[in-house]
Amino acid sequence: MGSQDIELNYGYELCKEYKGLHILYTHHQVKELQTILRDKNTSRSDFKFYADRLIRLVIEDSLNQLPFTDCKVITPTGATYNGLKYRSGNCGVSIVRSGEAMEQGLRDCCRSIRIGKILVESDADTHEARVVYARFPEDIAQRYVLLMYPIMSTGNTVSKAINVLKEHGVKEECIVLSNLFCTPQAVQAVLDSYPKMKILTSEVHPVAPNHFGQKYFGTD
Amino acid sequence: MAARINTLDPPSSASSESEIEEMQTDFSEVFPDADVDEEKSGDFYNTPASPITVPYCPRPPSTGSQKSPKSRRQRTTSLNQSAKKSTAESIIRTQHRTIYTAGRPPWYNSEGQKVEPFVIGICGGSASGKTTVAEKIIESLGVPWVTLLSMDSFYKVLNEKQHEIADRNEYNFDHPDAFDFDLLISTLQRLKEGRKVEVPIYNFVTHSRESRTKTMYGANVIIFEGILTFHNPKVVEMLDMKIFVDTDADVRLARRLRRDITQRGRDLDGVLKQYTSMVQPSFNHYIAPLMSHADIIVPRGGENEVAIQLIVQHVHTQLQLRGLKLREELAQAYAINKQPRPDTVKLLPTTPQIRGLHTFIRNKDTPRDEFIFYSKRLIRLVIEYTLSLMSFVDKTVETPQGVLYHGKRMATSNICGVSILRAGETMEQAVCDVCKDIRIGKILIQTNLQTGEPELYYLRLPKDIKDYKVILMDATVATGAAAMMAIRVLLDHDVLESNILIVSLLMAESGVQSIAYAFPKVQIVTTAIDPEINDKFYVLPGIGNFGDRYFGTEPSDC
Repeated sequence: MGSQDIELNYGYELCKEYKGLHILYTHHQVKELQTILRDKNTSRSDFKFYADRLIRLVIEDSLNQLPFTDCKVITPTGATYNGLKYRSGNCGVSIVRSGEAMEQGLRDCCRSIRIGKILVESDADTHEARVVYARFPEDIAQRYVLLMYPIMSTGNTVSKAINVLKEHGVKEECIVLSNLFCTPQAVQAVLDSYPKMKILTSEVHPVAPNHFGQKYFGTD
Repeated sequence: MAARINTLDPPSSASSESEIEEMQTDFSEVFPDADVDEEKSGDFYNTPASPITVPYCPRPPSTGSQKSPKSRRQRTTSLNQSAKKSTAESIIRTQHRTIYTAGRPPWYNSEGQKVEPFVIGICGGSASGKTTVAEKIIESLGVPWVTLLSMDSFYKVLNEKQHEIADRNEYNFDHPDAFDFDLLISTLQRLKEGRKVEVPIYNFVTHSRESRTKTMYGANVIIFEGILTFHNPKVVEMLDMKIFVDTDADVRLARRLRRDITQRGRDLDGVLKQYTSMVQPSFNHYIAPLMSHADIIVPRGGENEVAIQLIVQHVHTQLQLRGLKLREELAQAYAINKQPRPDTVKLLPTTPQIRGLHTFIRNKDTPRDEFIFYSKRLIRLVIEYTLSLMSFVDKTVETPQGVLYHGKRMATSNICGVSILRAGETMEQAVCDVCKDIRIGKILIQTNLQTGEPELYYLRLPKDIKDYKVILMDATVATGAAAMMAIRVLLDHDVLESNILIVSLLMAESGVQSIAYAFPKVQIVTTAIDPEINDKFYVLPGIGNFGDRYFGTEPSDC
């Protein structure tokens, strides 16, 4: 399983290099989910089921990156619990189309969160990514943004999307990218350009499962 | 006993019915409308609906009605005297219309080790009144959990030739050779160990065992009755108290005649022939000498009130010697010896999310919809974490990108969930969301308000649960008393201790210690461990009563 160790190392090495990169704690059960998603023989219903599970885990962990303050609450037994409270003023932004697969996962965690959308298309000839559509909450400049995009192979699309967010006044340090699979090149490309943002992913691997969107939405 | 041949009616002297009702009352307590027939047929675990794949577990609509009346009539080990049956039923009805009084109290000590039940053997000739004595004892004992095992379940399967002899009323059912003592001994042994057993149902028409069996459990008191209960020395060794019912031969013959002629439409000559050729000689040769093994000889059978009172007093004394105050003992045991947390305890990493979710669900002012929403999120996380504790093996798959991917696969697909009602039920949905088509079992354990002890009322588990990894779910664990009872139930169903994971949202340090100490191989998974328990056995700072808050059944004065 030498190759496996090498694959894992991509992530660990990059984490040392880039403080903004966080990898979901890879216990074997997450690995199992990834295995199922990568297996070309997985049926579509299984694919969606396990993709949703992985998305949920990534979203839950992404929320850990958002700011919070300490607070105390009284429990029904009359005792005090030292808890914490998330600051309000977050929002989600999904990159159409595959990013939308993650919206439900976010909704399942934050019922009334505002969700913006960006449509980035890559030009068939030049492979140049360009933004076709963007719609955000009005006050997005004051918010923390959870940017959702499951597969990142070159990082071009995400870079474009971050540009759009910055144009709308979002601070770079207020952007968290929720991602399932990404390549080392993409991590480098994005974090070299935007060193203050955070990336949360479940796996860094040289081969990205580019069939994700097709299979999830059934358009393959 | 020979009189029983060819009869479609269950013989009145065979009597395992009362214990089935007695015992399964406890399980069916939460379903007052439970169709008693289903319970009686004894295939509580064999109903097709018992392995459940949906989060929510209704009773099978009409298992009872699937059985043909014929098969029911053929059941030999049942008490069919209507008067007796209706008393037993009425007791059940009144019990579950009132408060819960019939749960099974702990049958193990504070270290989770089983306490041996008290086994009473009742021996005596045919129609001597053994059943009546057994019932009077059960009635006067007032112990809710009694198992009554009848020797009639252990008749041997007859071959064709013997079958013909039996058809001519010439097979001797009163002879020791007619019984399968090996099976009897192993069954009694398991019951004595507090385990679940499958008791065969003997069909007196075909003289073979039916494919269905009757599920029985060990109990605090086990009564074993039959004509030759003291015949085998190994059986005698297992009996804590041996009673011989000595009824006058004339009375026995008279009862037999009346029963066979009026109730079973047999003729006088046939009954007498059988009696003189087989029943009477067998009694003299095999049964009467067994009297010497007896601790107590009860003349006149069930009418002998004095003898029964003496027996009951003795049993009570014995039970008290084995009796337990489990919950209190658990709380105290912790106070005395605080130990480092064992490594079977798996606490979720305390991320800001986990603390944030706890903040919501612990806050007494959180409205119910938010409470449900946030506790569901927390449950999902703890269940996902639980799955990560399973064992995994390497798996290499082909990807659509044309490269091989070295991944993992869970080593077992046999995982089932078991929830401890009511609060544990809230976690079922998450298990189903995470494991496709998972089977869910249920155990209802309630705290007896008078004694403060947990009591077992109901259980329904996948039939082959011993082959499964079991995710046992309860929302909160305080002293661990209920969780320990549930673990004990699983162990009694032959689940391996190392295959059990007890999963909860919040545990008290003392509960964790008690469970880990009693069951060192059980993995304990939780999102938070609180330091204390108050005198009402609530965790501090705690969540309050999780079930009440989730289901909205808080007492109005709060």
